[in-house]
Amino acid sequence: MQSVQPQETQTETPAIQFPSIGMILSERWLVGAHILVAMSALSLGIVLGPFQTFRRAPALQWEMPIFSYYYQALTAHGVLNALVFTTFFIMGVSYFVVQRSLDRPLKSMQAAWAAFWLMLVGMVLATGAIISGTASVLYTFYPPMIAHWTFYLGLTLVIVGTWVGLFNVLFTYFEWRKDNPGEAVPLAVYAVVANFIMWFTASLGVAIEVLTMLLPMSLGIIDTTDAQVARILFWFFGHPLVYFWLIPAYISWYTMLPKQLGVRLFSDSMARVTFLMLMIFSIPVGVHHLFVDPGISESAKLMHALLTFVVSIPSLLTAFNIGATIERSGRKRGATGLFDWMWKQPWDNPVVAAQFGGMLLFIFGGITGIMNASFNLNIALHNTTWVVGHFHVTLGGAVFLTYIAMLYWMLPMLTGRKLFMPKMALAQVYLWLFGMLVFAGAMGRAGIEGAVRRSDVGAEGAYVSDAMAPWLNLSAIGGALLLVSSIALFAVLIGSLFFSEPVEEQGAVPIQKAAPKDEHIPSVFENWRLWIFVIVASNLIMWGPVLLNAIDVSQGFWAVANPGSAR
Amino acid sequence: MHIHEYERYWIVISVAVMGVFVALLVAGAVVFGVRLPDTGQFVNPSELGNTEFSSPGIRDMGDNEYEVYMIGRMWNFQPAQLTVPEGATVTFNITSQDITHGFIIEHHNINLQLVPGHVARARVTFDEAGEYQFICHEYCGRGHHLMHGQIVVEAAEENES
Repeated sequence: MQSVQPQETQTETPAIQFPSIGMILSERWLVGAHILVAMSALSLGIVLGPFQTFRRAPALQWEMPIFSYYYQALTAHGVLNALVFTTFFIMGVSYFVVQRSLDRPLKSMQAAWAAFWLMLVGMVLATGAIISGTASVLYTFYPPMIAHWTFYLGLTLVIVGTWVGLFNVLFTYFEWRKDNPGEAVPLAVYAVVANFIMWFTASLGVAIEVLTMLLPMSLGIIDTTDAQVARILFWFFGHPLVYFWLIPAYISWYTMLPKQLGVRLFSDSMARVTFLMLMIFSIPVGVHHLFVDPGISESAKLMHALLTFVVSIPSLLTAFNIGATIERSGRKRGATGLFDWMWKQPWDNPVVAAQFGGMLLFIFGGITGIMNASFNLNIALHNTTWVVGHFHVTLGGAVFLTYIAMLYWMLPMLTGRKLFMPKMALAQVYLWLFGMLVFAGAMGRAGIEGAVRRSDVGAEGAYVSDAMAPWLNLSAIGGALLLVSSIALFAVLIGSLFFSEPVEEQGAVPIQKAAPKDEHIPSVFENWRLWIFVIVASNLIMWGPVLLNAIDVSQGFWAVANPGSAR
Repeated sequence: MHIHEYERYWIVISVAVMGVFVALLVAGAVVFGVRLPDTGQFVNPSELGNTEFSSPGIRDMGDNEYEVYMIGRMWNFQPAQLTVPEGATVTFNITSQDITHGFIIEHHNINLQLVPGHVARARVTFDEAGEYQFICHEYCGRGHHLMHGQIVVEAAEENES
């Protein structure tokens, strides 16, 4: 590591000196390695998506490429995109945000690399199991369907890797906290800390499921399980998981987009309220994924439904805060009317356009999400292709496009080369936006007609009604647009890595270095002891009875005999 | 902490809108009886022979009310074919014999997760004559897409004759 301070003996230096322009090499490698692994996982995962739409369209019914078996391809699509791509990208971005915002290195670079290797070995194990055909259990892996043990071990290593990484980040933050008493932490770091506290809490659920049920069962140590208890433990984790993906996108909207637009965020404090609410309310709502499960009481379902409406509030706050920030940008560019500020924006900048596109898709994501949470509508929609439409405008829309926005400004910083063919990058963004609207709209409509998700409806003997067929065909048109967009994305990525010109001057890092001094930010926001108490208490109240009740109905934790593997 | 005036209006509106949604949800459950499956009976999936599921099928309870006992397994429903008259109200009791399955009838308000060990229970009324498929909606292995059956709702006058 380069040392810019000659007096290395001075151990009492309050803030460690660190080059503030650009990034030092070791940091660049760490962040770059995470982003590159994320993108390689995505390269396989993403391409399988459109071919699923071609397979499911009655007009085409094509065979899957790479994998002959539909559900194997679907497992790879879900695991690689939703679990591996996101997790590596989030860890990379979080390291970047914390080091750049606080202007200090991570507590331990060795621990960060150890976490990286744990996650990488985990990814290779899980992917290997999927490719070998012994883990076609989809990314929700509900027992008693059991995959090869390497699949669960791989996922465990990925999660343990995130734990090592997140404690490293938390210790870095706590040291900064000690060195800067009375100062509010920069917003982006605040959000990273909130995200990691939420993620750690949530991942305990899936860790218990994997370590006490799935891994021992796949190794033949136990031969009974309880599918209902497992589903409860999984969805304790499963809903915060989607916020684990979303919060980094919000970090980009709240702390990077204002810099990219050349304006100030409307309200820093309300942004903190948003992240705080997401951290607290994203966990005690997960039963809304289990509305039609038989082993959960109706009252618990109602309680979780009500809290789900509370978790929509931080996203509505975001709509206002970011909307007002974007309006400032429009006013700065000469807008005077009630709505013309929407158009007076740098729509030709791929980094900005990708985030705007993501926000647009997230409006649909939010509305459909509220519909899913309304359990009377959920009865009509649960496990239909409607749900697939919903999470492709949220995860595949808002989250994905915002990550791509981050990729597009980060690449020149990481590689020292300009973004390759920015016009193609821009076209990629708009194609994705349009393709996703077509795909998600068609999937939603097919779901209303009764098309179920996760079903190889292109196969002989599957059921497709005349009412579903046109929408499944339309979803394939959306899939084709998304395929073209993905090819453009990887062309830009490979071009930026190897072929484009070197950058003469590094652009500014769109990172907020300090909390605004002219805004009063209450210190209670960083009273983590209080918030962790709230998280523990709310989850004991909201999840405790659900779990105990299910165990009670089943008369034990592993009460149900395993009827045999189905993979 | 300063909150801009407009933002305060926005917060009030947001909370109010969500409050209305919640009120409608509760009203739907209390007034219109839109209910979700509750915790029910436990059955051992490997000993279904000792339960009501030993003879899966439809039972006429009189008054156009029916009870269905159905088993979901890789990869079929038993029974896979049901016939009811128009206007029939059917209570489905379904369980899984092996792994987790799902149950949905197209264009009807019934949607159940079939979890081994638990009996999923829901009521639905068939108001319109026609043929409707019930489909497994949870991935259950290689033949998942083959797992569907049919319910025939016969027109009322046909039933009279």
